[in-house]
Amino acid sequence: MDEERLISKKEVLEKMGISYGQLYRWKRKGLIPEVWFIRRSTFTGQETFFPRDKILERIGRIKDMKDEHPLDDLAELITTRVNAKLNVALARLARVGWLDEDLLRTCCVDRAPGDAVSIWEAFVLGVLSRLRRTARDEEIDLVRRTLTGKRGNGLLERVSENGLNLYLLRKRVASGGISAQISLVALAEGRAVFDPEIEVVETVDLPTVLQRIKLDLADGEESTTGGESSPGEREASAGGDGGPGHPREREVEP
Amino acid sequence: MNDERRSVSISGSGSLGGGEYARVVISGSGRVDGELVAEELRISGSGKISGRTEIGQISVSGSGVFGDEVIAEEMRISGSARVDGPVQAKELKCSGSFRAGGDISGDYVKISGSLRVSGDVEADIFKASGGFGIDGLLSADKVEIHLGGRCSAREVGGEKICVERIGSLGGALLSGLVKMFTGGGAAELRTTQVEGDEIHLECTVADVVRGKRVEIGPGCRIASVEYTETLKVHDDATVERQQKV
Repeated sequence: MDEERLISKKEVLEKMGISYGQLYRWKRKGLIPEVWFIRRSTFTGQETFFPRDKILERIGRIKDMKDEHPLDDLAELITTRVNAKLNVALARLARVGWLDEDLLRTCCVDRAPGDAVSIWEAFVLGVLSRLRRTARDEEIDLVRRTLTGKRGNGLLERVSENGLNLYLLRKRVASGGISAQISLVALAEGRAVFDPEIEVVETVDLPTVLQRIKLDLADGEESTTGGESSPGEREASAGGDGGPGHPREREVEP
Repeated sequence: MNDERRSVSISGSGSLGGGEYARVVISGSGRVDGELVAEELRISGSGKISGRTEIGQISVSGSGVFGDEVIAEEMRISGSARVDGPVQAKELKCSGSFRAGGDISGDYVKISGSLRVSGDVEADIFKASGGFGIDGLLSADKVEIHLGGRCSAREVGGEKICVERIGSLGGALLSGLVKMFTGGGAAELRTTQVEGDEIHLECTVADVVRGKRVEIGPGCRIASVEYTETLKVHDDATVERQQKV
């Protein structure tokens, strides 16, 4: 993959009409992830660059939302930082349109609509929904077990902005006239490279899914995160979905 | 939570299992094995906490060693303290010597002794009158440094950044005191870059200074200054390159 387009800090300040103070403050509050700050030597000395699309989109969103929310709450809403204890009523989850309804039903058979699921469960559902079109049932199950099983412990913290990707892979093995296809699920930070015989069926950018879920859930009257959201904010958040920075991701939109 | 958290005091030599306490006082030599959650921790002798700590008020006037992360509302160090993990304190005041192995973040950080940090220091307000060495970024809305010794940070960034020599009066005494901690050295700030909206610098050595309104005072050696509104350079300062952007 080509390197993302970068923008210098100076240009960001000028373009977005913000000050050094604001930029540093937002960084401190965790609104702008550390990994986006890319230091480069230029002829004028050290300069900081950012992934252009991501930073402009993020700052635009911060500017839109900062008047209604205290900065500290904003981090919860905007970034992929997640309060693991946050629970979501199942009924609310059903209203988030892009989650697969069949999936919701099969995964939560034993629960009433008023029951709560954890944000992590909601996230897993989100990931599975994205795979729904391309993955086979047993693969969906494999992904589910990867995320919820023992090996998935502590994953919520790791779904940071470092670009944790979930890969669904297939490989055909043939020997002695018998051929079999095996499915694999892998989680890797950044962009993983696989051997040429592996078919990458789907790549899911986990932070994007998490953020999407959170924004969709934060939106509306029964906000569980404490911050009330205005209708104007919905548009602001919807604009960032998918993110232009992830051109490779296949969109599985309703 | 139950309201009957115990208070413990170690005044001879002893150790304590981790857990939740109301108040832990170590005035002799004490050790806490494991994680410590308490409303208050006072170390006036020598104390060591091996696990992470989550405490309302920490005061160290002897010597304190924290083996892991420290989260506190208020942390005051007048003796010496070392934290091997990150520090998150709403208010951090250090008049002794403080070493942190990770990042320090807080609302208000005030250093009048010596500070050594392997990571970043991030605060709303950062005030220093002693010496410090920060391997990472020093960032605050308001950075106020009264040079009392050798100060260094990889980068400094914020809204208002002010670096000044300590005035001659009380300064001599204070800088003498500080030198005891920091081992002397010229009172100056060394950094690769300073970025802020309002910048006033004295005795600062930097590669780049970027800001809106910039004042380069006496004793500065700056390779390059980029400013958007105003720039003032003192006669006793060296600025190799300046550019209005």
